[in-house]
Amino acid sequence: MARTLRRLTPAQGALPILVLWVLPLAASMLMLLPAIAEPDAWRQLQSHPQLWSALVLSLATGGGASVLALLMSVLVLAGLDRSRALPQLQALAAAGLALPHLAFAIGFGFLIMPTGLIARLIEGGATPPPWVTVQDSWGLSLMLALALKELPFLLIAALAALARGDGTGHLTQERRVAASLGHGAGSVWLRVVLPQLLPSLRWPLVIVFVYGATVVDMALVLGPTQPPTLAVVIWHALNHADAAVNGMGLAMTLLLTSVLAALVATTLLLLQVTLPRLRHWLCAGPSLLAAPRGMAVVTGTMAGLLMLAAILLLALLSVTPRWPYPALMPPAVTFAAWTTLGSSAAPLWLSLLLAATTALAALGLALLWFETQPEGRDRWLIGLALATLALPQLAVAGGQYRLFLGLGLTGTLPGLFLAHLTPVAAYVLIILQGPYRAFDSRYMMVARSLSVPASTAWLRVKLSLLRAPVLTAAAIGFAVSMAQFVPAQLVAAGRYSTLPMEAVTLSAGGNRPLTAAFALCLAAPPLAAFLAASLLGRPRWR
Amino acid sequence: METTGMTFTLTRRGLIQLLAATPLAGRARAGEVWDGIVAEARGQTVYFNAWAGSPQINAYIAWVGEALQRRHDIRLEHVKLADTAEAVRRVRDEVTAGRAGSADLLWINGENFRVMKAEKLLFGPFAEDLPNFALVDIAGKPTTRIDFAEATAGLESPWGMAQLTFFADGAKLPTPPLSMPELLELARSAPGRITYPAPPDFHGTTFIKQALAETMADRALLPVQIDRQAFTEAAKPLFEFLDALHPELWRHGKQFPQTQAQMTQMLADGELLVGLTFNPNEPANLVATGTLPSSTIAWQNRGGTIGNTHFVAIPVNSTARQAAQVTANFLLSPEAQARKADLAIWGDPTVLDMAKLTPEDRALFTSAAAPGSVTQPAPAIPEPHGSWVPLIEAAWLERYGA
Repeated sequence: MARTLRRLTPAQGALPILVLWVLPLAASMLMLLPAIAEPDAWRQLQSHPQLWSALVLSLATGGGASVLALLMSVLVLAGLDRSRALPQLQALAAAGLALPHLAFAIGFGFLIMPTGLIARLIEGGATPPPWVTVQDSWGLSLMLALALKELPFLLIAALAALARGDGTGHLTQERRVAASLGHGAGSVWLRVVLPQLLPSLRWPLVIVFVYGATVVDMALVLGPTQPPTLAVVIWHALNHADAAVNGMGLAMTLLLTSVLAALVATTLLLLQVTLPRLRHWLCAGPSLLAAPRGMAVVTGTMAGLLMLAAILLLALLSVTPRWPYPALMPPAVTFAAWTTLGSSAAPLWLSLLLAATTALAALGLALLWFETQPEGRDRWLIGLALATLALPQLAVAGGQYRLFLGLGLTGTLPGLFLAHLTPVAAYVLIILQGPYRAFDSRYMMVARSLSVPASTAWLRVKLSLLRAPVLTAAAIGFAVSMAQFVPAQLVAAGRYSTLPMEAVTLSAGGNRPLTAAFALCLAAPPLAAFLAASLLGRPRWR
Repeated sequence: METTGMTFTLTRRGLIQLLAATPLAGRARAGEVWDGIVAEARGQTVYFNAWAGSPQINAYIAWVGEALQRRHDIRLEHVKLADTAEAVRRVRDEVTAGRAGSADLLWINGENFRVMKAEKLLFGPFAEDLPNFALVDIAGKPTTRIDFAEATAGLESPWGMAQLTFFADGAKLPTPPLSMPELLELARSAPGRITYPAPPDFHGTTFIKQALAETMADRALLPVQIDRQAFTEAAKPLFEFLDALHPELWRHGKQFPQTQAQMTQMLADGELLVGLTFNPNEPANLVATGTLPSSTIAWQNRGGTIGNTHFVAIPVNSTARQAAQVTANFLLSPEAQARKADLAIWGDPTVLDMAKLTPEDRALFTSAAAPGSVTQPAPAIPEPHGSWVPLIEAAWLERYGA
């Protein structure tokens, strides 16, 4: 494969991703322009009384959640550095990552709301306490839930970057050098590991921020309403039957996306300027700072327990039609929700097929790009990928539907495949770019100098050393595909049904057992994928 | 292609009317035309795009599919939707692109219908030519022909009735509030336990319409077009009422639940005292599925509550119009309507006139009182004219939104 890769010109290497991903995506976005050009859309936007407060709320919840998630993941990684608990941590993080956002929001909500489990345990009177725990005006519960839900994502991304075969070797040596200079374990991590880890985490962090600032389903469960986050206002507007209201929604989308892009660009620029100035701090010392093991254990356990509690509560809620306050156990149990869910298996198979094919295809496209293109071109692709994730699915889906309709792709399997590939490839590119580009090319040189053919060297040296990030990216792609709803539903035009389509349409009525059962069901295949990735990706040479 | 099909049908409709004008022959010839539609419908597949948030409703639609397959050789595919507006956008895009339709039948009413009618996205008129339409209670239930103050003009066929209904646990609330002022009193005596969903949620908007209807000086204004100035005048008592109500609500009226479903869950969990719904039989249904206790009571405000009808319509680019019409006709049959009204199946009130049914058909509607059903139905107040809704929502948002 590598020989063929080498023979490919950059143009040939870029062609597949351009045709299958960039063009459809760009064309879908162009389809939205006429509606955005309507002056009426902008007039409606300006007169919307919630616009600015909703925008501030979106940025605050997304930003706060990202900072909180980063702090927690740094604490956990530094504290559990080289501990025996790391593999378990990875499994736990995989479980947390596989759980759909909405599912976690429901489980977490049932823990903290005034009629939730905690209130039942510590208050337990005849009427629930007047707690303001969910839907608080500041969006704090939403922010906390987002941070907890994104923690596994950052951990998985960081662990994949740290487990890179080519990196572990010199990292170990550098650690030894730092330790012999008298640095404590915590200081070694801060000064040696973190600076090498952060560049790989840059795009995952941006994803976390963008996702948090644009999420709809979690905000509907945990977020405030007066005002709601801007994403929720946009969601209502885009959902409307009236094309004029859709236009206002698109204008708001453009506003939110531009603000997010400007913020991300400014932050990255600021970091580029300020980080080199911190270099003197890296050389300072030695410091005896110990690894924050205690705090890491507390943070990790708390997050893990909350995640676990959310999953267990979901399982209970899925068999409990009614569980009134202040009962500590549900009064009756029925498996009606699971029966409804089990009545048809076709959507599950189609979902698995789409998830597997799109994850593999996205991986192939990404590797082809990285192998044939200079690194400088990545930023266009990553920018487009981030735009895909930042734009509300409803908006992109509308443009994509119009495009596919013209091409005769609606209601067909190829159309459905492409609709899934769009977000999957975006995630795979973003996750893989950091670790793949950071590969130490001297390993390849060594292999080639030992007269190993290029293809063998690529497969057995580069791919083998990069196994952890490659498999993690594939698993994340698989999970992303398993969560697709809006674009897929439109493009499928009722001719095909996937598991998320069944799940979302059936939970539109707010039936909690059904929603909980589907959420658990949707979490199972990605969980299997993440566990497989972490097992197969474990370095062989340790 | 769409246009030729429509002209053909319009001609056929003209033919029916022409024939109907000639006494005696009319009825028989119209029957022949209908027989032709039924014959053409054989072997067609109807993609029925319908909201799918309730397992009971989905099971009912599956039953309809089996019956149609058996009797008319029609395959019914339920395209499950989370929001009907999605199908509206899909049809609009298809028609703009000149493509054949992916939807043959839509479950629709209100805003979605108004938009589709205005943009000429619907096939018809067909509804009033359906044989079973003769059984519809058009006099007693005028909303079967007027959808949110918009004339249906035969572009949609009535399917079921809806009316704003409140419910609560009778063990906690033995005497329910039967008017908005009584609800205010209740909120004052139980602060923080009453609320309603935030508009633009459909149920939230309906609650405000109900408050408007109960507080306004002249209800005759509701069915007519209104401008901003007249609205401000007419809605003054409404906002006085809401200003008084909000401080007593859940979270002092600073936050509201996002949806009716969330409110129902909060009621079931014990956080709220009163829930609301548009399906008068939903509370009884929720008792049957175990979501609500058997002590649940349901009521409609004494002076009447906002009521409407939901319909099925055929998109103009449907490729199975004949089968879609046969399906719409079957949905209107006493057998299908009685099954739908059955509390154990779905509990959706019928659009038919009992007086027009044969005694055998009437006997199908056995409505035994079940826990949670409405004991004293109140008259339906028709939905206000469509021009009220954007004004209500904007004014509400302005006052309480940020």
